[in-house]
Amino acid sequence: MSLAIVILIQAAFYALLGIGYVLIYRATRVLNLAHGDLMVFGAFLFYQALVSSGGSVTLSIAAAVVGAALIGALVYLVVMRPLASYPIAVGVLATIALAILLRAIVTIIWTGQTRYPAELVGQLGRPISLASGVSVSGVDALIVVTAVVALLGLPLLMKLSTVGIEMRGVAENAVLAAQRGINIHRVNALSWAAAAVMAAIAGMFFSLKVRLGPDIWYVGLAGFAPALIGGMDSLKGVAVGALIVAAAEVLAARYIAPQVALAAPFLVLLVALWIRPWGIYGSREELERI
Amino acid sequence: MRLPSTLRTDFRHDIRLLDSAFVRFWAVAGLTCALLLPLLLTNFWTSVANQVLIAVIGALALNLLMGTTGQISLGHAGFMAAGAFTVAALITHAEAPLGVTLLAAAAAGALLGVLVGLPALRLKGLYLAVSTLAAHFVIIVAVGQYQSAISYGAGFTIPPPALFGWTIGSERAWYFFLLPAVLAVLLVNLNWLRSPYGRAWMAIGHRDIAAESLGINVPLYKLLAFSASTSLTCVAGALWAYHTGFVSVEAFDFDMLIQYLAMVIIGGLGSVLGACLGAAFVVVLPHAISILAGKLPLLQGLGLKTFELQIGAFGLIMLLFLILEPRGLAGIWARVRAYFQLWPFRYRAWEAR
Repeated sequence: MSLAIVILIQAAFYALLGIGYVLIYRATRVLNLAHGDLMVFGAFLFYQALVSSGGSVTLSIAAAVVGAALIGALVYLVVMRPLASYPIAVGVLATIALAILLRAIVTIIWTGQTRYPAELVGQLGRPISLASGVSVSGVDALIVVTAVVALLGLPLLMKLSTVGIEMRGVAENAVLAAQRGINIHRVNALSWAAAAVMAAIAGMFFSLKVRLGPDIWYVGLAGFAPALIGGMDSLKGVAVGALIVAAAEVLAARYIAPQVALAAPFLVLLVALWIRPWGIYGSREELERI
Repeated sequence: MRLPSTLRTDFRHDIRLLDSAFVRFWAVAGLTCALLLPLLLTNFWTSVANQVLIAVIGALALNLLMGTTGQISLGHAGFMAAGAFTVAALITHAEAPLGVTLLAAAAAGALLGVLVGLPALRLKGLYLAVSTLAAHFVIIVAVGQYQSAISYGAGFTIPPPALFGWTIGSERAWYFFLLPAVLAVLLVNLNWLRSPYGRAWMAIGHRDIAAESLGINVPLYKLLAFSASTSLTCVAGALWAYHTGFVSVEAFDFDMLIQYLAMVIIGGLGSVLGACLGAAFVVVLPHAISILAGKLPLLQGLGLKTFELQIGAFGLIMLLFLILEPRGLAGIWARVRAYFQLWPFRYRAWEAR
């Protein structure tokens, strides 16, 4: 029972990360290898706001979300938009360059020291006991709730809101969407902003749950495994992919060895790439298009 | 009227190695400078020059795969590790001489390239990048296991190699050993590009479907490109091992991969000259930054964070090149060259050579 809950929490965390990858992939067809560093950046914004505001959680979350959204939109407008006409590989390489640039900026501003924002927050860490006798911490409960809200809310937003419909149009065929009068750069900048916000949210949770430091970027990088397994262009796929990866990781840690758990997302990913490269819910033609 | 050197009138002209007086002049001038260079440099900077020469081999290999054939590879640091550990293993178990270890590294690399290239037959772009990244992790874990099993995690010390009875010990000796080696690799690389193999790789790099309809066996040539590139990379890794004198798995991390990516991007993807320029740029840049960080008052406040400055500068410069000058240093060079050759006329040289 408690194992299932651990898997669920881990899956929720991976889903939060995976959504960011999917949003960016749908907008610019790029695997964003800077996602881990966007996550670190957002988490540090949150930490800085916590320190400056003297521990006000709502204010800090708002500051981190706004800051991350601005950074995401800026990255699209300054870096990805000029590269739109180049091969996809160039875009992926640009995200690698962006990743090391962000990492250097974070280290120069906040140093490489490890911090524990949970110490500044306190009350979020109080465990909530469930009916079955197992208890989860407040942060873990929040992770699951946020992931569920995001996984249910985003597809609804995509289906009903004007912006969502525009995003789907751009993801389907950017040239046609532009010809129908959709400002694709505005839509893509929004997608990048939303993805950066998702990264920041994941970063806040991870820093509250475990720790905060420039080295946690690899946690964010592991998030592309669920996105690829589920299918890079499918929000529904992220949920399934996250469950598979989280189950593999938690079970490997429990029954094999902790070291294997670190490699588990990538091992599952390799198997998935071998069997079904376009992902569980991904469109098959994507493989040819990229 | 003088014809611009970028204008090719027949195929024979197109495949000529030194195709104009301009190129001939710069080839001779460059070679002369390279030969005289160690006389001017201190021991430290000769060591830097040696690192540049080794990096040139690695960058040429990566450029062959990513620039020419258009197959994105994120396994380069892993391949370097494979070459270095081939040397370490052969020296530890068999005390093999330099020639044997280099040949073994090249052979191991060729085989490894075929294995890593196999997914390239099914996967493209993004997915290929992910599978080569996975290959990187697999190689690093494998050699890490080997290292902890044989040397109890300490790493391997590589004695200075001997060539025809001469020990290559000093940095200057290394320079005069590496320079001909790099020239040989350069010539091999240029000749590959002139041959049907290189033409096929270029065609695949431009558009693989078009290449296939021209009768090129795309899977075969993709595998050949992986094999040739990885083989060269392993040779570079082997030379790296000898020059550094110590092999440990920690050296072959993500940063090394990023440095090689930076070399081919900053130099200009698909350009042989670019790979050489990029390698020199990327190896010298950190030293230049640490000197600048000590001298410029603007950077003095950040002086303690030299390492972060170096990494950040790589990221920034890579981004600037990708956005503003995708053809890299080689593209800038081509433009300068066209400007002087055609003066007083103006012409935009689209084709970088």
